Amino acid sequence: MSRSESAVVEGPSAGQHPVGPGDGTAPRADAEDGGKQPRRALLHTLSRTLSRLLSRYWTVLALVAAWAVWVRTRQLNQIVAPTPAAVFGDVLGHPGAYLPDLGWTLLNAAVGLALGLVLGVTGALLVWASPLLSGLMTPMALIMRSVPVVAMIPVIARVVGFGITAVLTVTTVVSFFPVFVMAGSGLRAAPAATRDVFTVLAATRLTRLRLLLLPHAVPAVLVGLRLTASTAVLSAMLAEYLLGTHGLGLLFARSVTFMDPARAWGTALVATVVSVLCFVGARAAERLGSARFS
Amino acid sequence: MNRARTTVLTVAGTLLLLAAMEGVGRLGVLGESWPPLTQVVAALDDPITRDLLGRALAATATAAGTGFVAGTLVALVVAVVGALLPPLQPGLDRLAAVVNAVPLIALGPLLITTVGREGTPAVIAALAAGFAVFVAATSGLGAAGAAHRDVFRALGSSRRATLLRLQLPAAVPLLIDGLALAAPAAVLGAVVGEWFGAPRGLGVLLVSSMQNFQTDLMWAAALSAAVISLTAYAALAGLRVAAARRFV
Repeated sequence: MSRSESAVVEGPSAGQHPVGPGDGTAPRADAEDGGKQPRRALLHTLSRTLSRLLSRYWTVLALVAAWAVWVRTRQLNQIVAPTPAAVFGDVLGHPGAYLPDLGWTLLNAAVGLALGLVLGVTGALLVWASPLLSGLMTPMALIMRSVPVVAMIPVIARVVGFGITAVLTVTTVVSFFPVFVMAGSGLRAAPAATRDVFTVLAATRLTRLRLLLLPHAVPAVLVGLRLTASTAVLSAMLAEYLLGTHGLGLLFARSVTFMDPARAWGTALVATVVSVLCFVGARAAERLGSARFS
Repeated sequence: MNRARTTVLTVAGTLLLLAAMEGVGRLGVLGESWPPLTQVVAALDDPITRDLLGRALAATATAAGTGFVAGTLVALVVAVVGALLPPLQPGLDRLAAVVNAVPLIALGPLLITTVGREGTPAVIAALAAGFAVFVAATSGLGAAGAAHRDVFRALGSSRRATLLRLQLPAAVPLLIDGLALAAPAAVLGAVVGEWFGAPRGLGVLLVSSMQNFQTDLMWAAALSAAVISLTAYAALAGLRVAAARRFV
């Protein structure tokens, strides 16, 4: 939390820096090239994109800057805290060291997400079909909502066995609940007027589900996916770390054990970037889906 | 009538769930590692176990509570700064998203070098709870209706007065929603934070009992963690019902 505060204070000064070089290159590039107009337009868009990116991500840049300053001023040993340069250098210099484990983590997260999606939608349909079941499921839904599933990794591992089964169980359970809740509310979201049309035309329950309710549930399910996409990646890592199965979690645990801080922090960096990308991807899918289905 | 039916079904669902846990354990469907619920509760008869669990519970609850309060305060301050200085808003949103995306396992070793083993659970709890509160607070501060905003602007209200008299009251229901989500997140943060070498707590107990095949103790610790977050969540959800009546 002190990090966010320091970022707020240091932000503007750190944030303005990257604009300088971008603007400075503009006249030089123009002089070199004959076709000035398209080049200038390109540069204009480029600098606009850059300043838009900057207005959104200056805090992240400030965070990295604060990290560099912190390591420098406290004279920290590389074993305690490596510099940003060392960490970025390790990730960019040895991508082969990260890729296989990254693949495992993504696989664990994706399989869990897919299973959670199927189970969540099935559960929501069951609850939709039977009010009795819906009442009986209420306490379970409440428990699933409030119990920290990831903290139960030791219990899950004990029950389903150590190894990849436990990791997949964790990611599935983590993904199940938001999808279940959102699909349930999506099935109830169809407008009353359209529902009346189906009633007037004496549509069967199945037709109504297929033509009216499921299309309305799709955007809601996509919201559920957005909520879980990055959580699935992070909980997969946590499970891998604790249980020692293949993936970024294990890579991190090994790097800590073998005193390779640049690799350890690099793993954290890769995981952070991947989980942000998963979130961005899921958000794009959500926008596409809600544009298509509503 | 309908309400009574819901209550009956909820109670029945709870009993069914407890019975299922007991039954799975009794029948041994999932092997030795899923004991009957009664056996877990009976393990608490032993004063040593009870003492161990009690101390762990107190440590985790303290860390989660401290983290919850600290995280909420910081998140509120940052959200209000964003509301008062709109140019900062997009950057603050991204910062919150990125901090939330940093894997907990990576924060553990970092925090141990900076705040020590004792403080780590509370800080992770604060980060986890703070994110939920921040997201709720930013969307809550933007939740006031456009018509109301126009009235404030037309009457020449300052940004601070708008915040105090319009945006903050309008944010209360969503904010309490966020608090209800933040409470389980804080418990989770505290438990995970304890995995990185904290001296005591439910997280320590969970991992050590997993490694030592102390199945009853492991389940007792897991159920205790579940009970803390369920209680906190239920209390805040109740508060939300009261607030919805007052602030809508």
